[in-house]
Amino acid sequence: MIGANKIVVAAAGSGKTTYLVEEALKTRGERVLITTYTESNEAEIRQKFFELVGHIPANVVIMTWFSFLITHGVKPFQGSLFDFSITGMVLVSTQSGLRYRTRLGQPVFWPEEEIDKHYFDPSRRAFSDKLPKLAIRCTERSGGAVMDRISRVFPNIFVDEVQDLAGYDLDILTALACSSARLLMVGDPRQVTYLTHHERRHQKYADGGIVDFLRSELRKKAPIDIDETTLNRSHRNSAVICAVSSRLYPALPASQACDCDRCRAAPPPSAGLFILQKGDYDHYLSAVRPIQLRDKITSIGVDHRSLVMNFGESKGRGFDHVVILPTEPMRDWLTNPASDLKPQSRAKFYVAITRARHSVAIAMDWGAAPPPTGFALYERTAPA
Amino acid sequence: MKIDKVKITNFKCYEETFSLSLNDGLNVIVGGNESGKTTILEAVHLALTGLLHGRPLKNDLTNYLFNLGAQTKYIESLGTASPLPPPAITIELFLSGTSSEMAELEGNGNSEKVKASGVIFKIEFDEDNYKEPYEELLKAGALNSIPIEYYHTPMWSFGRKRITARNIPIKSALIDSSNSRLQNGSDVYVSRIIRDVLEEAERASISQAHRKLKDAFGADPNLKLINERITKAAKISQKAVSISVDLSSQTAWESSLMTYIDLIPFQYIGKGEQCVIKTKLALSARKNAEATAILLEEPENHLSHARLNELIADLTDQHGQKQIIISTHSSFVANKLGLDHLIVLRDGEVARISELQANDFFKKLAGYDTLRLALATRAILVEGDSDELVVQRAYMDANGGRLPIQDGIDVISVGTAFLRFLELATVLKIPVAVVTDNDGDTAAVERKYAAYKDSELVRICFDPVVDTGGLTISGKAFNYNTLEPKLLKANGLTTLKAILGVEAATEDQLRIHMRANKTDSALAIFNSATVIAYPDYIQKAIAP
Repeated sequence: MIGANKIVVAAAGSGKTTYLVEEALKTRGERVLITTYTESNEAEIRQKFFELVGHIPANVVIMTWFSFLITHGVKPFQGSLFDFSITGMVLVSTQSGLRYRTRLGQPVFWPEEEIDKHYFDPSRRAFSDKLPKLAIRCTERSGGAVMDRISRVFPNIFVDEVQDLAGYDLDILTALACSSARLLMVGDPRQVTYLTHHERRHQKYADGGIVDFLRSELRKKAPIDIDETTLNRSHRNSAVICAVSSRLYPALPASQACDCDRCRAAPPPSAGLFILQKGDYDHYLSAVRPIQLRDKITSIGVDHRSLVMNFGESKGRGFDHVVILPTEPMRDWLTNPASDLKPQSRAKFYVAITRARHSVAIAMDWGAAPPPTGFALYERTAPA
Repeated sequence: MKIDKVKITNFKCYEETFSLSLNDGLNVIVGGNESGKTTILEAVHLALTGLLHGRPLKNDLTNYLFNLGAQTKYIESLGTASPLPPPAITIELFLSGTSSEMAELEGNGNSEKVKASGVIFKIEFDEDNYKEPYEELLKAGALNSIPIEYYHTPMWSFGRKRITARNIPIKSALIDSSNSRLQNGSDVYVSRIIRDVLEEAERASISQAHRKLKDAFGADPNLKLINERITKAAKISQKAVSISVDLSSQTAWESSLMTYIDLIPFQYIGKGEQCVIKTKLALSARKNAEATAILLEEPENHLSHARLNELIADLTDQHGQKQIIISTHSSFVANKLGLDHLIVLRDGEVARISELQANDFFKKLAGYDTLRLALATRAILVEGDSDELVVQRAYMDANGGRLPIQDGIDVISVGTAFLRFLELATVLKIPVAVVTDNDGDTAAVERKYAAYKDSELVRICFDPVVDTGGLTISGKAFNYNTLEPKLLKANGLTTLKAILGVEAATEDQLRIHMRANKTDSALAIFNSATVIAYPDYIQKAIAP
């Protein structure tokens, strides 16, 4: 029997994690797995349990997608494919399993049949990009024993930030959807900040195509309920922040700010969206105390005496005030929304803006032209 | 939830992989001393808990855990060009059950590469940490025993995940006669059994009560005064010196609480009573999430006959869903618990009465004879009581008056059930001699025992000569080919007449007398002071 399957398409700040944690707390007497792509979000889920009930219930297991794949996808039935023991996982950022380069510098990769070289590094750590593929192969070779086992170990499988999954991950979601386990996913197709999949498989559903995948591919094999309303309101971002951030994804329905009294009580005077001239940066940091969000560790302009975080790392988090150190394409987009902003940069920009509850400042010099719609130029006010 | 099968390699008496399938409810393991019964119980308990003799094995590793043969092979290989890898002890438990916890132990990471739930307990060389020191030792030629200091004891699931005993939904209650005490003298096993009987919430509330007790102790005004005095007295430093209850132990309440029976500490009550109480406690566990396997070692040891009967009644009536493994060398216990639960163990060979072709026969038979065969070093099977007496006497004559049983040889009269007993003997590899009459048709006897013609274990002894004569009794021809006429043939009329103390003018008269007084004749022969000659086939049966 196929278990109930559902995806809740969520807006940033709509309380995805809280929703999953509450669903998990409602599930009694049965095991629940909560999995997500990043370690920081895994920690966030744990944290949420402690906030809500002060402990993680005995029937709840939280693990990252990669540990889930190794522990439950590969190891139990690896015997049908290979016999050595896996020593761990190695995170790769380019296609793994390089055999050699031709004289012209063209890479040649180990074929799939060379299991120990295609999937593993010399110390037998599995390549992160191939793990889902390996898990799928184990499933196939074991005659479905992998998924059958998982669905009995975890009658409830919850996936947070499901938009991060791509390639063979989607085949695993499909297999889980076809199993007897209840599969509940939440995600925001706008927040695909990780591009770690180099498989050509399901390429057209990369970059936020998760809902399209579920609608057109997964539905052929198992029924799935697509819920776009439960979590469509942001409890974090103010209405103006919602409006500005939604402009990054004009094709998708614009997110709305909630109207809960608790969320909307007394916004501080510094609320709003600003363009922050470089000369005012230090002043702004000390006056407003925002968190600085940057593209990567090498991004320039950061004041290391204040809090700082990478865009990707900040996903799932919320802050009263943020200041964004934009990349060049982001700056270009602000001056001209028709400019080319690559999917990953777009997602990162979206994530950065939607971290803020009250104010977003973009650190960049702006000429005499009027600021972009929704923004104001930041002006120092005399200290009271 | 239950244990389907246990596989043991290199542990104590088991060198080659020993495999034993277990039934749902009762399993009665019968075997002589040193047959490895206790080792099976220890192995199961070890794989479920990581404990041996009540202590975590990882702290008590010794060479003596290893099979001697494996140890010797390894040490002998060390001086050669191709030294063997350090030996490993493996205990595998194949489990079954439908819970999520059980599913989590599923995978094909087992010795049979099959899909199953289970756990593997290993005592093996810790390659990750000690590869280099081992290499150095090997190079220096300094190894003359298993380098046990480089060993560790990992526990794996069949899903290839390192686990701890907590991950296994089957708890083990070992009830043996050993003295396993906690630091405070409380018995380890009874504490464990009580802990395992309790639900998680109940354990938590005990733990809280225990914590409160400690806090109350610490808060006592007298203790405060005392602590102030100590601090003043100990002018070592500016820091406070105080006494309090030990708060460090993780499982504090289990190790500091004592079990009382009628206000007497558990370890001071009789051994037999301890055994009964532990068993009853273990039987009382009624949890859904966990199953209990009860391992009971030789319950006959400390119990009176009446208490033993009571315990056995409890075991048979109340085991419910619980799996019970009992080791015993008491034929009484084995017989009472039912032969269909019986697992006979002998030199690493296993026979189940329920799997023998002749199982119907053995189930109907009082278990004693079956067990006599199973426990004997060697056996001589004879047809009836008179044959038994004569064979015993023949053995005594040949062995300076020693009874066969004194040498572990059991002479068992089996009526006409030779082939059934031979089936059991063959499975258990018990050397057996069969003493049978040829009844005038040697070809028929040969046909009957054709399967054992070249057997090294089974010796078929009968007289190849067919004797004939004209005697008839009540119109029927006399059978000249049974033990009595053969004895007459061997000893002659005069000698045998004297031995039996009867008057007989002719051989036929004596034949008729012996036929009518089989047991008396046999007794007279058994007690005879005169030297007796035995037919060759009897000599062959008693030969070493």
